[in-house]
Amino acid sequence: MNEKSGFEPKIVAFLCKWTTYAAADLCGVSRMPYPPNISIIRVNCTGEITADMILSAFEDGVDGILIGGCRPGHCRYEDSNLKGSNRVYLLKRALKEFGLNPERIREVGIAGAQGLIFQRAVEKFTADIRALGPSPVTDHA
Amino acid sequence: MDKLKIGIYWAAACGGCDCSLLEVNEQILDVAAGADILLWPCATDAKYDDLRGYSDRELDIVLFNGAIRTEENRDMAQLIRAKTKRLVAYGACAHTGGVIGLANLSTRAEIFTTVFGAEKEWPQALSNQAGHQLHLPAFLDHLTPLSDVVDVDYVIPGCPPPRKIVSEFFSALLAGDLPEPGAVFAAEKNLCDECEREREHTQITHILRVHEASPDPEKCLLDQGFLCMGPATRGGCGAVCPNANMPCTGCAGAPADVSDQGTAMLNTLASLVGTGAEGEDQIEGENAILEQIDDVIGTFYRYAAAKSLFGRRYREQHGQTN
Ligand code: SF4
Ligand code: SF4
Ligand code: FES
Repeated sequence: MNEKSGFEPKIVAFLCKWTTYAAADLCGVSRMPYPPNISIIRVNCTGEITADMILSAFEDGVDGILIGGCRPGHCRYEDSNLKGSNRVYLLKRALKEFGLNPERIREVGIAGAQGLIFQRAVEKFTADIRALGPSPVTDHA
Repeated sequence: MDKLKIGIYWAAACGGCDCSLLEVNEQILDVAAGADILLWPCATDAKYDDLRGYSDRELDIVLFNGAIRTEENRDMAQLIRAKTKRLVAYGACAHTGGVIGLANLSTRAEIFTTVFGAEKEWPQALSNQAGHQLHLPAFLDHLTPLSDVVDVDYVIPGCPPPRKIVSEFFSALLAGDLPEPGAVFAAEKNLCDECEREREHTQITHILRVHEASPDPEKCLLDQGFLCMGPATRGGCGAVCPNANMPCTGCAGAPADVSDQGTAMLNTLASLVGTGAEGEDQIEGENAILEQIDDVIGTFYRYAAAKSLFGRRYREQHGQTN
């Protein structure tokens, strides 16, 4: 564990612009700090996130991926977020077989007004990824 | 016109690709009339030293089947590359790593332990046998497609390549009519584009394996729940498997505009499953359908695991590749 203590994870967060992105925005305007480890990518809907985007992020050296969107049944584009979740479900199974811990991907559904919940979710995910250590993909150019 | 000088080589292969060359039937006589076969370990006894003796680019074309698994495979790929003007990745193993690319899900140590047992039993690259030094080609850490070690001019995909495509290739070769390097002897689009089954784009409510039910011969296999790789696989074979009532397993690799075959199929399938339920129940129901897939990598990456965005086994606990 010692060698991991100095490790600062790199995390990419794909956030739906209608909800979780708005929550992140709210944290910003309310000056509620969250760990600087995450880079946020705003998407129209989590249903837009393909398995290739997630794999490419890991290839580029990311240690964890947070996906934040509308709660089930509340997506603006019918059940698009659930189709996205199906992809994540299958991809996690594939990643496990390739030897990557599927816990490196986390999905959350946080409404636009829930700045505090977003802040905590990021803190928790960052702590969990820090505990997991660097992604084993990182050293593969 | 002088006869062409050609070669055929197998690396980490099963022999099926060599056999598939004979599926062109009597056309093989045209090949023999128009070309001298200078290298073909499966059928002729030309030695590696003969190959070393040729001048650079002396051969016109070499069909290379099999993946790169050992040092010998890699060294031969490099030697052949130097001796030939055109190099063809022939078959799924050379093209995308093939079925044996699934070995990349295990580390070298795991493979050796399974096959040979305790480490002291493992074969050594260099050893002394009855007073003689024996050199065995080392087993590389990962299996790779041919294009990972040398430049490849053409691809003839398939496991093994279907007769129609092999025959078209030989015709073009003998007529001196090969396309520009970079060409893939197959369709650009996916297999569904040439498959004649009726596609209704219904929701998939359950996953079926071929031993569990007989598919309706007219309807799209995927619509019926059989995991047909058609949407994520390059066409050009004439849909021989769906025509024989078997789902496509993906041997031709990804279509021209797709970078990763497995994720492409995974994205497609994730959108097709459905139970009719909504909200929280929907996600559970759909995940339950997807859970019926027994072997995720073996289904989506049966031939292309070694060419996938990952392509090899990682080890979390050591924080490094193995
Ligand atoms: S592509 Fe198929 S037929 Fe050819 S060597 Fe590989 S496994 Fe055998
Ligand atoms: S999924 Fe398979 S059966 Fe259906 S149209 Fe495509 S190739 Fe044909
Ligand atoms: S619109 Fe928010 S997840 Fe689809």
